[in-house]
Amino acid sequence: MTELLKVTVDGREVEVPRGTGLVETADAAGIEIPVFCYEPRLGPPVGACRMCLVEIEGLPKLQAACTLTAQDGMVIKTAATSAKAAEGQNATLEFILVNHPLDCPVCDKGGECPLQDLTFRYGPGATRMTFPKVTFDKPIPISPLIALDRERCILCYRCTRFSQDVAEDGQLVARNRGNHSMITTFGEDPYRAPFSGNVVELCPVGALTSTQYRFEARPWEIQQIPTVCGLCPVGCNTSVTTRDGKAKRVLSRNHPEIDGGWLCDKGRYTLPHLAATDRIREPLRRLQRVGLEPISWDDALDEAEKLLRGAEGRIVTALSGSETIEQAYALGRLLRGGLGAHSAVLPESTSSALDAFRLPLSGIAAAEIVVVVGDDEVVDRAPIVDLWLRKAQRNGTEVISYGPSSEAGSAMAALHDLTEPDSALGKRLRASDRAILIWCGPGGGGGARVAEAAHSLSFDDKPGCGAFHLPATPNGRGVAIAWAAAADEDETDPEPIGLLVVVGDDAAASPSVRALAERAEAVIAVTMFQGLAGGWADLVLPATAALERDGTLLNIEGRLQRLRRAVVPPVPDELAWIAKLAGRFDVDLSPHSSVLFEEISARCFDGATAADHATLPARTPYEAPAPAQAVATAVPPRPAEDHFLGQLRLVRYRPLFSGPQVERVAELQFQRPGAELELATADAEKRQIAAGDTVLVRSNGTSVELRARINRKLAAGVVRVPDEHAADLHPTVEVVKP
Amino acid sequence: MATPEVVFAHTDGGAVTDIAQYEATGGFSALEKSRAMAPDEVIEELNASQLRGRGGAFFPTGRKWSFVPKPEQIAKPHYLVVNADESEPGTFKDREIMLRVPFRFLEGCLIAAYAIQSKHVFIYIRGEYEQEFEVLRDALAAMHKKKVLGGVTIVLHRGAGAYICGEETALLESLEGRRGQPRTKPPFPAIAGLYAAPTAVNNVESITTATSVMEMGGVEYAKLGVPNSTGTRVFSLSGNVVNGGNYELPHGFPLKDLIYEVGGGIANGRKLKAVIPGGSSTVILTPAEVEKATLDFDSLTSLGTAIGSAAVIAIDDRCCMVQLGIRVSQFYEHESCGKCTPCRVGTHWLTQILQKIEDGRAAQSDLDLLLDVCDRILGKCLCPLGDSDAIAVASYVDKFRDEFQAHIDNGGCPLGGSSSLEAVLAPVAMHHAAHEVAHA
Repeated sequence: MTELLKVTVDGREVEVPRGTGLVETADAAGIEIPVFCYEPRLGPPVGACRMCLVEIEGLPKLQAACTLTAQDGMVIKTAATSAKAAEGQNATLEFILVNHPLDCPVCDKGGECPLQDLTFRYGPGATRMTFPKVTFDKPIPISPLIALDRERCILCYRCTRFSQDVAEDGQLVARNRGNHSMITTFGEDPYRAPFSGNVVELCPVGALTSTQYRFEARPWEIQQIPTVCGLCPVGCNTSVTTRDGKAKRVLSRNHPEIDGGWLCDKGRYTLPHLAATDRIREPLRRLQRVGLEPISWDDALDEAEKLLRGAEGRIVTALSGSETIEQAYALGRLLRGGLGAHSAVLPESTSSALDAFRLPLSGIAAAEIVVVVGDDEVVDRAPIVDLWLRKAQRNGTEVISYGPSSEAGSAMAALHDLTEPDSALGKRLRASDRAILIWCGPGGGGGARVAEAAHSLSFDDKPGCGAFHLPATPNGRGVAIAWAAAADEDETDPEPIGLLVVVGDDAAASPSVRALAERAEAVIAVTMFQGLAGGWADLVLPATAALERDGTLLNIEGRLQRLRRAVVPPVPDELAWIAKLAGRFDVDLSPHSSVLFEEISARCFDGATAADHATLPARTPYEAPAPAQAVATAVPPRPAEDHFLGQLRLVRYRPLFSGPQVERVAELQFQRPGAELELATADAEKRQIAAGDTVLVRSNGTSVELRARINRKLAAGVVRVPDEHAADLHPTVEVVKP
Repeated sequence: MATPEVVFAHTDGGAVTDIAQYEATGGFSALEKSRAMAPDEVIEELNASQLRGRGGAFFPTGRKWSFVPKPEQIAKPHYLVVNADESEPGTFKDREIMLRVPFRFLEGCLIAAYAIQSKHVFIYIRGEYEQEFEVLRDALAAMHKKKVLGGVTIVLHRGAGAYICGEETALLESLEGRRGQPRTKPPFPAIAGLYAAPTAVNNVESITTATSVMEMGGVEYAKLGVPNSTGTRVFSLSGNVVNGGNYELPHGFPLKDLIYEVGGGIANGRKLKAVIPGGSSTVILTPAEVEKATLDFDSLTSLGTAIGSAAVIAIDDRCCMVQLGIRVSQFYEHESCGKCTPCRVGTHWLTQILQKIEDGRAAQSDLDLLLDVCDRILGKCLCPLGDSDAIAVASYVDKFRDEFQAHIDNGGCPLGGSSSLEAVLAPVAMHHAAHEVAHA
């Protein structure tokens, strides 16, 4: 039990635990202490803006409340009861406004601006400043996503602190000093980092604005729709700003256990894909020698019925993993229940065995040891987890990563080693009350192997210990559960494939699904974009985006989250036409997600509901997952000499900024990785390759030219290439200078 | 008048940069003596001397050391950081100490490190101090050769030209490789200083004096000077005096004697108009106040000013007080780090208002505004930099109100073209080369 301290704020007595900051103490007493620079999520207070000046009995000078913590018997007087404090805050605002352009009528922030609000409440009514203000060139595009107006900047250093102390990208800095201080990036470089957009939200004035949102809406004509991000398995809680029924921006909606109030740039800035130029707005049918022609929905449903019946059950369904639970369930009921088509290509799922080691993501920041195993970078699969890991490290957590090594399956071997009785790290994990295992990459049985390791390390009974799998798709597990819940029959492998039903953009863009289509007599594609439909689909049904759907997603932690429709889609909701189509096959299906979810939840989720700010369900007892085909054993790393100008293991990965949505957003193009090859220092030296060199990557007669990048953290014998640049390269490659 | 030499003892007016010469006059005996004592006993000796910080804040040195937790209390490395970033306008004592008695200074570093049980000393030396750096570097090499360091590492770290890095927490930030901006306190450096570890930050003169204190004994040292201000002080005398320079004198020395006897009086036969007694941030004194003042904490505090960094700046009757205000304010404006609002904006605004007054464009309300802006800066900043500007400028108005008023009434400077700030808070060299410093 934390010690409680008695503090008096403006005559009101309040009890707060030791360590509580004065801003929070006053808040507990129902009193506001205004702030600009203070933001506890950015680390320790800096006391820069001086907005929070208060009088504290016994201290001669005004104090910056944000920098102090409550002491027993402390008597605080805010501007409400202290003329001195009121004068101090008024002075701060007068100083801040001396150089501020006061261009509120044309400023995006106007109407939702802390500076505006606090000036009205605490500031002077008129200016005594008669000299020319300090001016800067403006606005400066610090990246294609963010515009900087240095004249509006009040130098609270929130943005630079985020860059340095939260995201640790170190790209945003203050330059010059005194009145000439300014926020800047290095040289002409743009602010290129996965979480850059958070600085726009942190800015308490209109200095940092989103280039996508600039001049798009005013605060009094917008609505905020609470929903969650459907682009990765974290499911950050978001708020979508709409104006006249159009989505204008995505903001974070702090869920302290999931996202801590941060968002990645993919979640924040892919919005424009809703209005992509190749967005499909009506059903399309392929005509011989003509291509795709628009047809009516009635015709489309007739056509779909014809194709479905014609396949006589020889149907394969390829799902993307971005569908809602309800969509996957409805499709399952239609295709499996109505047509007996049980065969599906499902996205990488997450093992239910992990439910025994459930932990909120915020638990990572409180851990003692975190072991990350797998071939992929955390930021590419579940970006926010990267921020939790960084926070953990700042808290003193030891984070140990087993990235890719020259042996395929080395991650599995590393995991297996941990469970050996003589493993030193294993012993520490076993002894720790706050240890976490994370599987980050393909394979591993969707986290099943990690669950096994966690079980063998006795994590079951320790509530601070946990295990996570970072899947590749936003709702892979939810889709798998829903698809399974739709029917009881086992999967069959139809041959030949009569009909391939491709659902979602990721499935439509997947090379393996395309390969399957080659073997299918007909293809129905449900996709958002013309670019993904042309050339292979016989019938194209327009899809909605996540932000246009009502439904439920199951996130990385096993938390059911409510996806709320932010805007009305330009095309009918999937559930509507699936229900209609289902009716033609005598399947009674509701078009309403809430009704569908009730059905699924009763069967799969103990009747749970997905509320806003959903809580994490309790852990379930450990159930051993299906064992792996063959447990890899530890292979000692081969000496680097073996790789001298020899074969290297190619690890392909899907970068965070990739995929059909990102490809359609002009402002995000600079974030996409170039045609680069990452290689270890030792491998580069042996080949006399310097960073920036053009290299030839060869395997089995295929070769690709890429730019070399040296990754010091990479193990020797491994090279990494973004999927989109790896073409048809095989898993082992040769790298040479052309 | 007999003036005891403590800081500059055994220099005979010159510099002791040869280690053999230093040892011949008892060099390193204080260190030896200290190392024979328990660390706490060294601190006790310092307490007995009543030595107070020479950087400007006048905080008791022994007490500062005693605030540093024992190694068993905090199991982190302990650091001694020496502030050699001397940049307060009018202050140039530390550079002369480093030039003339480098070994006494470095010996003090080792004594202080021993007292706070630190093995790591960082000397943050002003970037412009090229020669001083070289002297210290050579002295350090000689000490290394003589093996007197006793396992202590002394790092000379050169600043990059920011006055704010003389503020102890900004100094620590800069030393850690970050932007030199002050930190909020608490936590204080004694608990969480350099790399968040226990750290004592001391001024060059304080550290050098510690050597003498250990040599002669704290009680003996306390007999020098006056109560509350024991010992001697190196005063940097500058401005419109005949013999500017550094003078080591006991605390309690009459200010007028420093100017008229030691300093040889006002140059060019002019009349004294004002004296800034402790560096540019202190309240200015009128000639009548100068008559009464002695150079110690109590006397100067009773006159509403401070001994500060013991930089005495004499100003003659050619000087326009508004111009002086502009010069001082420009300095602080230029050196403001930009972190906190009142200092960043206020110092610039003060300069603008002062310039308007000087140019004869000011209305009566501007004078009120000037004082109000001073008031709005004062006591509201993160560190003392903004306060320094406000205190100085407000004191010029307070003590020379008529002159400010005349600027407004006459629509310009009453001194016209005759006003001169020559030698006042200008970037002046030491008036004497190290080896030929005059002794009173």
